[in-house]
Amino acid sequence: MSAGTLSGLQQPVVTGALLDTPHAAPAPDGVDELCEQLAEVCGSATDPLEIAASLEFDGLNDQAVQAKYGFPDVFALAEEMHRRVPVRPVEPESPPDPWRQGFGRPALHGLLYSLPAVCFPAATGLLGGPGAITVLLVSMLASWSGSQGLAHLGYLRLGRGEDAGTKQVLRWGMLVLLAGVAGAVWVAGTITSARTPAMAFAVGQGLYLLSATVLMVLRAERLLLVVLAPGCLAGTGFLLLGKPSGLALATACALAATPLLGAAFALWLTRGGARLALSGNEVLAAVPSAAFGLLAALLIAFPVVPGWGAGGSGVNPGALLAAIPLSLSMGVAEWTLYWYRRRCARLLRGTGRVGEFRRRSALILLAALAQYLTATVVLVAAVVAGAVALDLVDPQWTSAPQVVAYLALGGAMFLALLLQTMGCRLVPLVACGVAFAAEFAARGLGVPAQLAATGGLLLFLTLYAAAVLCKAIRHG
Amino acid sequence: MKIAMMTEGTYPHQFGGVSVWCDQLVRGMPEHDFHVVALVATGVERPAWELPANVASVVSVPLWGRGPAGRKPGRTGRRRFIPLLAELVDALMDDSPSAPARFGLVLRKLFEYAQEESLSGAFATEEAFDEFARRWCERSPDGAPSRPSLHDVLTALQLLDHSLRALSHPPAPADVVHAVTNGLGVLPALTVKWRHGRPLIVTEHGIYLREQYLHARKGPYRWPVKALYLRFLHHLCALGYREAALITPGNVYNTRWERRLGARPESVKTVYNGVNPADFPAFDTEPEAPTISWVGRIDPIKDLETLIRAFALVHQALPDARLRLFGSPPGGREGYLRQCRDLAAELGVGGATTFEGRVENIRDAYEAGHVVVLSSLSEGFPYSVIEAMTCGRPCVATDVGGVREAIDDTGIVVPPRNPEALSDACLILLRDTELRKRLGATARSRALQFFTVDQAIETFDDLYVRVAAGLVPGFPDGDG
Repeated sequence: MSAGTLSGLQQPVVTGALLDTPHAAPAPDGVDELCEQLAEVCGSATDPLEIAASLEFDGLNDQAVQAKYGFPDVFALAEEMHRRVPVRPVEPESPPDPWRQGFGRPALHGLLYSLPAVCFPAATGLLGGPGAITVLLVSMLASWSGSQGLAHLGYLRLGRGEDAGTKQVLRWGMLVLLAGVAGAVWVAGTITSARTPAMAFAVGQGLYLLSATVLMVLRAERLLLVVLAPGCLAGTGFLLLGKPSGLALATACALAATPLLGAAFALWLTRGGARLALSGNEVLAAVPSAAFGLLAALLIAFPVVPGWGAGGSGVNPGALLAAIPLSLSMGVAEWTLYWYRRRCARLLRGTGRVGEFRRRSALILLAALAQYLTATVVLVAAVVAGAVALDLVDPQWTSAPQVVAYLALGGAMFLALLLQTMGCRLVPLVACGVAFAAEFAARGLGVPAQLAATGGLLLFLTLYAAAVLCKAIRHG
Repeated sequence: MKIAMMTEGTYPHQFGGVSVWCDQLVRGMPEHDFHVVALVATGVERPAWELPANVASVVSVPLWGRGPAGRKPGRTGRRRFIPLLAELVDALMDDSPSAPARFGLVLRKLFEYAQEESLSGAFATEEAFDEFARRWCERSPDGAPSRPSLHDVLTALQLLDHSLRALSHPPAPADVVHAVTNGLGVLPALTVKWRHGRPLIVTEHGIYLREQYLHARKGPYRWPVKALYLRFLHHLCALGYREAALITPGNVYNTRWERRLGARPESVKTVYNGVNPADFPAFDTEPEAPTISWVGRIDPIKDLETLIRAFALVHQALPDARLRLFGSPPGGREGYLRQCRDLAAELGVGGATTFEGRVENIRDAYEAGHVVVLSSLSEGFPYSVIEAMTCGRPCVATDVGGVREAIDDTGIVVPPRNPEALSDACLILLRDTELRKRLGATARSRALQFFTVDQAIETFDDLYVRVAAGLVPGFPDGDG
């Protein structure tokens, strides 16, 4: 009966014509020659019908098969060919690895995250007076959360291939958020009676961050080096020359040039966007990113604030020294993230066992974390050594616990980033929120509170990531 | 009567032979209401055809766009899904004769599940992944040519999820279901049969499964995924044939595959495509220079290389001869057009070969040649041949699909990929005016007798009524 059953096809009916064909002696029937011609098809055929389809496509029909090969029809010939040629499928060309990445881009990113730090010491003249730290902090919190949300919206549209829509959302997002940052700075400045130069610097910082976000989303990081050049060069020169008062105005102008240049590039790159209304869903999807930006800024900046966090009355040099390499280390985090994804993708193609994937992917995760932490320790050591050599700081061993706390925070940020790229957005966000709340509540305890909060966060995120990311379906 | 018409990638969103046929059918039966269910790629496609008033509804089922709305199933929903998925994998890996029946049963259960829960959501759960991996990877025999990886599991789950999207849509209201393709297009038809008990007619112009086998050769998938998915389609097509009250292929040649896949011979009736004779009156005159005319999409499956090579041989014998090619490449295939031009130039017939592009009135294309040629590697029952025949132009065509049935002895049928045979046949006709006239006249009378659109429509009108009344016709052996 049913020729339609798979078994019927795979145990071919031996027809009269086939019985007449001597199986042991090849060549004379011409079938071997045909098998050779169709070697690729036969070697990867999943059943005889696949060969039959190819034979028909090559122009053979039942009459031709009867006349040339003595088989009753194309199907019988295909069955014989399937029997003769062992199936040895060729692996398809592997698709380009989306997680392949050199050192250049992440290193550039790390540099871009940390270079702006050079501008602060040069700007101490502008930042005198009451409320200066407050307006800087307000600007940082507002622009970090704003730029994270903006980047999310931008990538969302880029991912959908809407180039014109991406440009528009970035352009208007930048301008609206800038207005928001400026407003927040003005309110904070008025309350704390901050001086105008401090407020201007704070707005400039926000403008730089927002325009840098636009350039990064559009993959124009190299332009950012040009943007940073006036501020960083002038700032460094000013510091090296011992802050001569005659150059203060020129330095301030150079510092101002950086955000203005950034904004100009951002506006230029986003020209010609198309009007594409922002949907409520898009905005809603960007909220967790914005909240994460805010929490990250709080966790990093809070301990630095004099009289607020663990730093005592002055700006804490240990905290500052650790915070700078932390921004450098975000380049390492990016590289390690790609490394992790690449290794997991390879593992996914290399095993057919769920249990094995679970074990080995957990090891890859731990290795990635260790890799990130080691690199960050080296960066911290390098920055401290450099600062000591330049006589900028006099490190004390008492700062060590705080450096460790920042290291733990770095590790936690790395894991949070990794979890977000794998689609786990809520839990890292809540965990960061809880950690910050704990740090804030216990602020009277100083560094131990910071250490406990960031260490706890790192531990929790490590366990959570190990539990969630070992599921193969997450890597699809 | 209410007819549910199921299409995949054709009517009413795309142009092409199958869509022309659907349009003829719908317009030819204004007394019936048609509910079209169209499987489409993303769901943003717009109808390419103007829909007549008796098209009561068009529902698009996107296979690759956003899934049907619905949350991931809850704990109970997930628990109910796992045994179904396990049974699906087992049925697909089963080599015993009970596999087709198992497949049919589990597909029906999946349909019932999809009507209550989000099937897509169920496919995307961790439990589903683990169950699938355990059954497929860990049990694949040691002797298998290639073992599936977890990445293959992800790919296979996605393919199955997207392929089964139609099961989540509400079954269309109808007295008779007419799937104008087998394979995935049969799924929405089966849902109507299972839910409302309505009879099913399956029409195929090509052979769905054969096309899928050919397609899979170029696919990006590893062997285990390819094997599993082809098995799925194989079972699905066989199920389509088994569940159909009536199978109406567009030519007799196709019935070989249908019977091979388990179609009952008494349920197969060939119904040929037809054209409207009023649109294709006979020509009185012939062009001056000896001309070969070709009409179609400029596409590798039409094998224009063989045609151009054959024409180069014709041109050696008849230096005045010309080849006129009417048609344009589909989007993205412009490279093939260039390739053909280059080949013609290389063979020294670049001047005598003209690429005319699309024509406003297709008749002009047939009128342009003494002979109309078809060089395709694969065809169902090509309109260009029966249209040329209706105009009284003799055809030279490759022996593929239903071409021999259409032409019979009113033209010359040659083997495909054979430039010498094609050129010999063209030369015979180009040199013999008497023969051309005689064959042209017999071609026209054959077309008027067998291949008119009215006949096709009358046949289906009759079949709809009889199938709806449960009078399943007992046709002898599908020889139409």
